Amino acid sequence: MDKRGTDKLISVYWFVILFLVAAGIVYMVIVFYGAPYDVRESEANIMINQIADCFAAGGKLKNSVNYFNELNLLSECKLNFNVEDTNKWKNDQFYVGVNYYSFEKDKGVFSDILRTINLGNSLLNDNCGLEGKYTPVCVERSFYVLEGDSPRIIKIKSVVGKVEKNAQ
Amino acid sequence: MIKGKRGSNILTENIIFIVLNLVFLAILMAFLISRMGNAAVLEEKYAKQIAMIIDAAKPEMEIYLDMENGIKDARENGISDLGIVTIQNNVVTVKLRDKGGYSYSFFNDVDVENIYPIDNKNVRIKINKK
Repeated sequence: MDKRGTDKLISVYWFVILFLVAAGIVYMVIVFYGAPYDVRESEANIMINQIADCFAAGGKLKNSVNYFNELNLLSECKLNFNVEDTNKWKNDQFYVGVNYYSFEKDKGVFSDILRTINLGNSLLNDNCGLEGKYTPVCVERSFYVLEGDSPRIIKIKSVVGKVEKNAQ
Repeated sequence: MIKGKRGSNILTENIIFIVLNLVFLAILMAFLISRMGNAAVLEEKYAKQIAMIIDAAKPEMEIYLDMENGIKDARENGISDLGIVTIQNNVVTVKLRDKGGYSYSFFNDVDVENIYPIDNKNVRIKINKK
């Protein structure tokens, strides 16, 4: 094969390689930009912050542990669990669980649960810990607070569904 | 004479080769840029961003959000300034094209004033107590 024949062969291979690289880039871009932004973890964290602000200020409980319940938590903490009318959602895309514990300073441990509040779709909570992309996002955080002089621990769990709009 | 013709052939082949490469790369770049700045992608991004901002906001806050690319797209597509971001109940909808729009709900039960561009770059989000 003379030099010109070799050059043509090389340029054909060049274009084959170029095409394969381009196809790879196009595939990655489609996969990356085709997938929705998953904001559920931020959403769950923000919800915990809002509930914590609603319960306590300056490290002290605003109201006694018995003040909040399933009936008034949404209105007192200015929350609204209604969601957009899509994907057969029926305002069932959120769950919040709050547990109050007393704290034994001497032993440095939680004691019994003083109060529990569960709100929203508890099925979402049941799916926490499941493996896979199409599962709800669960975030749990706790903080110390004083009720009078008694130390308390409040554990808040927030679960956000909205799988169809955040996972693909 | 023959040597000169061969030389010009090689030059032409090289030019065609380079031009084809450039055309190929240009198409690839155009595709990437179109996907990155795609109105549908922007709608989703802005809707979720605004929903998160409202969720984390407290009453009386006034927030300015950079939506330069979105505002530009919407105006080019004939969407009115007041139609770019709309709030109905607790759902925010961002619309940057005629046949489009993306909605996302927020859980913070506050009153949000009309969201509109204050210039070519920013939109104003004003949160009030409900």
